[in-house]
Amino acid sequence: MKDHFKERSTRTYRQKQLFTKAELEERESVCVHEQPAFCTAACPLKLDAREFVRLVGIGDIKTARAMLERIAPFPYILASGCHSPCVSKCRLSEVSEGISIGALERYVMANAPAPAGKGLLKFKKKKKAAVFGGSLFALAVAGEMANKSYPTTFYVAESEAADIIRSCASFLSDGDMETETKRLLAMDIDIIYNSQLGASFIDSLKDKFDLVFASSELLGEKPDQITLINSSGIITDSGNNKEVIDSLFDARRAGITADRLAQSLDPKSSRGDEGPFESRLYTDLSEVIPSSQIAENEGYTKEEAIAEASRCIQCACTECMKACIYLREFKRHPRLLTREIYNNTGIIMGDHTLNRAMNSCSLCKQCSVTCPFGYDMADICQKARANMVDTDKLSLAVHEFALLDMLFSNSEAFLSMLPPDKENCEYVFFPGCQAGAVSPETIIKSYADLRERLTGDIALMLGCCGAIAHWAGRTELYDEMKDFIKSEMAKLNNPKIIAGCPTCRNTLSEYLDVPVIGIWDILSDLGLPENTEKASGKAVIQDACAARCDSETQDKIRDLTKKLGYTVSEPQNTKDRCSCCGYGGLVSYANRDMAKDMANDRLKGVSDELNLTYCMACSDRFKREGADSKHILELIYGTAKDGFADISEKRKNRLTLKQSLLSDVWGINVLDEVLDFELKISDEARIIMDDRMILESDIIAVMKDYHINKEAVYDVKTELSIATKRIGNVSFWVKFTSEGENAYNVVGAYSHRMTISKRGR
Amino acid sequence: MSDDKKTYYSIDPEDKLYCSKCNELMVKADCAFAYLDNEFPVEMPVCPVCGLVYVPEDLAIGKVLSVEKVLEDK
Repeated sequence: MKDHFKERSTRTYRQKQLFTKAELEERESVCVHEQPAFCTAACPLKLDAREFVRLVGIGDIKTARAMLERIAPFPYILASGCHSPCVSKCRLSEVSEGISIGALERYVMANAPAPAGKGLLKFKKKKKAAVFGGSLFALAVAGEMANKSYPTTFYVAESEAADIIRSCASFLSDGDMETETKRLLAMDIDIIYNSQLGASFIDSLKDKFDLVFASSELLGEKPDQITLINSSGIITDSGNNKEVIDSLFDARRAGITADRLAQSLDPKSSRGDEGPFESRLYTDLSEVIPSSQIAENEGYTKEEAIAEASRCIQCACTECMKACIYLREFKRHPRLLTREIYNNTGIIMGDHTLNRAMNSCSLCKQCSVTCPFGYDMADICQKARANMVDTDKLSLAVHEFALLDMLFSNSEAFLSMLPPDKENCEYVFFPGCQAGAVSPETIIKSYADLRERLTGDIALMLGCCGAIAHWAGRTELYDEMKDFIKSEMAKLNNPKIIAGCPTCRNTLSEYLDVPVIGIWDILSDLGLPENTEKASGKAVIQDACAARCDSETQDKIRDLTKKLGYTVSEPQNTKDRCSCCGYGGLVSYANRDMAKDMANDRLKGVSDELNLTYCMACSDRFKREGADSKHILELIYGTAKDGFADISEKRKNRLTLKQSLLSDVWGINVLDEVLDFELKISDEARIIMDDRMILESDIIAVMKDYHINKEAVYDVKTELSIATKRIGNVSFWVKFTSEGENAYNVVGAYSHRMTISKRGR
Repeated sequence: MSDDKKTYYSIDPEDKLYCSKCNELMVKADCAFAYLDNEFPVEMPVCPVCGLVYVPEDLAIGKVLSVEKVLEDK
């Protein structure tokens, strides 16, 4: 059997691809967070209208203007002439009126300062361009080519620049017309006025140029609708232009064709996404307050523009992040997080900076419910962990305590027994490792109740289903746990399983071929035991994340809660949308702060109420955060206690439970190990031990050694002795005082994973 | 070698630490921490007789822990 607890070396250089490129892209594409806003997708020129409106809203019209200057060679023509296809696609138009983006563009062009200087020095390109015609397309394409630094000659019929602008954009105000005329004259364009535009004129000149553009109406022919190249090799407008934006869009596309041709590349391929498209973005409109457009009149004032821009809801899909504190704290939407975790698994040498993020997901799958498209971050994080375990890149330190705890549950604390004096059974009760650790009395009473009221013989199995190994990404260890439980089940002749824990139920039913039900299913049928104390008041149902999308279980728990006498209250994220308490996915081991935040997030607004759970880990985690939390079985069997068990008690509880059951139910007495010295551990030391994940059994092991060989360090200043022992991958140090030869008072403990040894000589 | 030594992380026994078993005053000696195939030379309090090495609490939960964490993400 493989040694799962051998420390890895940081000098092994192995790599295994987490996903194929296609699978990665497929997974990422589920997340629409990076999809453009609907207004942006509707704009043929791809103006990031959401950002533009945001900038206007915060008063940064200089940057907003720069956005317009970038997408159109003549931005005043764009601002005044565009019929704003974006407005009808604005999601606000579904509840009220879309943002008046056109009016905001006009406001920006009228009020923002013109950019100073000419920008970066650009070298002239070698290919020469000629543009024929007085249409808006021709004007725009001349501007496009000049901006792209092609030596450009512009043949027009007009006799002066102002006439060109007037004939192309008659809708401009006198002032704007003058500005755009100046802009045309300032461009590096050789304008040939009074040209006799026509097919023969173009034909006579076209061979002198590398790239020739003309209005399609001059040639009476529509070009190829992708490249805009006509049968004579001339680039023209599409011939379908109805709106100003169509001409500007054609000029943009003509520019792309020109670039491809200038580089001797196929003008049809690698053009990128062109033109308007349907955005896949999801935007929740449920909380949007309807509002009307502000009338433009003579153009917006500053206040009007800001007010109009402030109506924008800044469409974005953050459905998963609204519910998941993990995604919020790591400030990444699933698409980005997936890419970064994928990259993290691929690092052969160096820091795996995303390990913490990968290990901080509770694997609760809340995102797969809150995401409108069902993104499953849990699956990605679990697979990434398993990948890094496979390549020896995931440190054992992160999950070792939990894995050893699982092995403890399935060795020293494990118990599998047929009912007393029976050779066979119909059921086996599998309460789960956390129930034994947190509330052993509940198991004793529930097992007794099941045996009394349920028809059919019931065996008992105390152990771990193996979920811990799966969460840690330890695939081989998980397989071993599965084989172990399978073999133990076979010894009982594979009875039906009654699980006490929703996670156990899911995990066991995944790999066993026997029916697995929850104890809540049985209690729902049998009703509450007669001696159950009736309660009153409100109980906040804190669903188990393992019961997500299992309305039957959720309903039965609510039904049992009502039978107990409580009125049912629902927290903010409830049923299928509930998040994790911080135990799932071993978050509480990998990132304690995150686990605390997860628990507190669930308790937000209800921490003073009775939080009723049906997962022992949940009630333990909530209690640790100071909330009143009880497991439904504790309420049914009257076994609820104040306070919570520390990590040592959790182990001791499982051992004591095993001993009590063996003795009381099967009449088998197991003797406790008796130490041949007295050991006291102070309360302060116990708090430190819980915080540092040091078990009482670790302390005992150190002190047993000391008791025999007396190896320790004595500090004369503190008058404390400090003994040490290496157990597995950890060196434990115990600080104590001695009372005579046979009694020790432990006052502190610490540990480290590094080994220390003498060097040289 | 002596120049290199000066850069070692060093803990002085300050004449206050004794090895309980040997009843000897602990002395500063060359030691090495090792973790995940990486080694770090240090000077730690050591019993001159039995060679017991002492790692003080502050060091274990401070520097040692932080170096462990860095290596764990390598």
